[in-house]
Amino acid sequence: MQLRLQREERIAYQMVLPYVVAIVFLVVILLSSNIISSFRAADGGFTLKHYQSVLTDEAFPTILKNTFNWTFFSVLGQIGFGLIIALLLNNITRGETFFRSLIIILPWGTLDIVAGVMWKWMYNDLYGVINDILLNIGLINDYIPWLATPDMAMVSVIIANIWKGFVLAAMFFLARLKGIPQYLYEVAEIDGANMLQRFWSVTLPQLRTVFMSTLMLVIIWTINYFPLIYIMTGGGPGNGTETLVTYIYKLSFRFLEYEEAAAASNILFLIIMVIVAMFMYWINREEAE
Amino acid sequence: MMSYRKRLLVVMLALLVVSMAFAGGEQETADQGKTITIWVGGQVAELDDTWKYVEEKYEEQTGNTVEVQLFGFDVYYDKLLTALAGGSGPDLAFADLGGWVPTFASKGWLMSMEDMIADWEDEDQIWDNLWPTVKYEGERYGLPWYTDARLMLYNQKMFREAGLDPNDPPETWEELAEVASTITEQGPRTYGYGVSGTKTEHTTLAYIVFLASNGGQLLTDDYSEAAFDSEAGLEALQFYTDLALEHNVSPEPVSYHEDNYRNLMAQNRVAMAIGGPWSFPLIETANPDIEYSLAIHPYGEAPASVLGGWAIVIPQTTENPQAAWDFASYLNSYETWMYWLEEKGGPMPTRQDVADDSPVLQDEKWQNIFKVFPNATYRPPIPEYPQVSEQIQLMIQSVLLEEKTPEQAIEDAAANVNKILAGE
Repeated sequence: MQLRLQREERIAYQMVLPYVVAIVFLVVILLSSNIISSFRAADGGFTLKHYQSVLTDEAFPTILKNTFNWTFFSVLGQIGFGLIIALLLNNITRGETFFRSLIIILPWGTLDIVAGVMWKWMYNDLYGVINDILLNIGLINDYIPWLATPDMAMVSVIIANIWKGFVLAAMFFLARLKGIPQYLYEVAEIDGANMLQRFWSVTLPQLRTVFMSTLMLVIIWTINYFPLIYIMTGGGPGNGTETLVTYIYKLSFRFLEYEEAAAASNILFLIIMVIVAMFMYWINREEAE
Repeated sequence: MMSYRKRLLVVMLALLVVSMAFAGGEQETADQGKTITIWVGGQVAELDDTWKYVEEKYEEQTGNTVEVQLFGFDVYYDKLLTALAGGSGPDLAFADLGGWVPTFASKGWLMSMEDMIADWEDEDQIWDNLWPTVKYEGERYGLPWYTDARLMLYNQKMFREAGLDPNDPPETWEELAEVASTITEQGPRTYGYGVSGTKTEHTTLAYIVFLASNGGQLLTDDYSEAAFDSEAGLEALQFYTDLALEHNVSPEPVSYHEDNYRNLMAQNRVAMAIGGPWSFPLIETANPDIEYSLAIHPYGEAPASVLGGWAIVIPQTTENPQAAWDFASYLNSYETWMYWLEEKGGPMPTRQDVADDSPVLQDEKWQNIFKVFPNATYRPPIPEYPQVSEQIQLMIQSVLLEEKTPEQAIEDAAANVNKILAGE
């Protein structure tokens, strides 16, 4: 028996090996070439010039602030909204599949480009359906040019992103909610806990690990998410919705400043590594307990 | 069951067979004359019967094979850039003249066409102001294939309904503001003039039209410093943004550019906006009943325009430079152009003899274009242009969003442009 397990394990290793090699190879090659070119001067020597020119870019503080706002509020909205939807769906017994596919699959299944164009038109200040609805229910007196000022544009892309992304969180939460043993609730009920107390002391603790890993995934996903902003505002107006990823895209594809783009990507990579490390530390500690 | 090692061997053998099959396939095509791959971006050269006829005629004449790959304009730039940077481009490609050609040449991606063009018998048929747009360090890296100029598209029906003469478009800035106000007063969500204010190239182009027509220029002649921070430049910025802020004759400018305005014009919502020869088929498709014309854009001091268009370039990696040039000069020959225009009615040729002779190009709209074209300015053909252009866009947006005064905005933009040009 012991022997067979070893054999199976060995085969398993052999099977994943090509994949691991390919991934490591790609990541290592790409990452190191990125790091090398970010430090390479025009004459081939070592330089910090590219990092300096990114960090001293007049727009850089705005870009960092935008990246933070974009990530923070998008994640807040996606996690919050995802949790509410998951809780509601968990309580539905009839037509569950229907609602689940309608609410969850639809935004997620919509292509990024399609979603971007769709939201752009919904926000339009001459024909937009959002303006039309708000006007008809009397919330506004005149059409609002949603994407025309930096702050409003940021709010608008975040709203669109919450719609597009809450699905992932909802999906993970729902899967975990299904796995919470019913007897925990029954015990709590016998102890006299009301609905809010049951949520607080049964549902939330049970969700904790899933919650943290979802949070990590969603944060990374959002920082790196590019299409919606690119399609809806192109980073404008001004630098109003320029985040690190749209900035990197602009540096490399518009300005052909590949070395500076590499430097900016490494800065972004570093930020993400710090976030991942924090979560990993927390998750490991949690598991050790 | 086969052992692990045996299975591995089978897989390896299979891979070997497949790779040999590929190699064999390549050998076969290389033997039949030369194959020229050409990449086309944008909407003008659809792969329709006209294109097929031109291509087949060339194949008959020379025995070479032409392979065309068409890309939508939205993805073309990224696609071409990636291919050129990776050293896997086609034999011939279309590139935006002015913007892309010198930039790509500075990266060492393009082959110099200087000798080929110098030996070409039709060299002097190309308008003179097109050559600087394909030059990098004194050598020409592209053959201008078709071109355009920015003029003013206007909706004649909206003119008539506002009690204006549809055949007498405004000529100066004062008249423009006046006419645009009259039309804007006709009703809610009706606008006289469309001010492009998006963070895109359209906004820079519009500013260049206003700037040049006021006697200003974007950069100094040697492209070493900003030149738009002049009296003429400030007036142009002031007037351009005033159209939206003071005269209130434009839709919310930060969200729209000329392409959007053309569509709004087709719906009789916007009466005037920048447009050019490419607009004709597009606006007629959007509204077959549209009554419109193309006039010289209203000016501050003298009529002016900015040109654009496409050049044919030969990537450095091609194996058949001579065959590639041969096809490029065939595409740009008198006969090909005359046939093309007869069939399609556009775009605007870069050849003066075709402009003179083609019966298609004799109507008023085209004649207006030819009137301003010889004096049309071009975007600075320097690798730093995209960054410079972004500064112009930010400058205009900051005034439109009322974050800065025109004076402040122009001063900041000029300082940034000078920094960019100094290589800082």
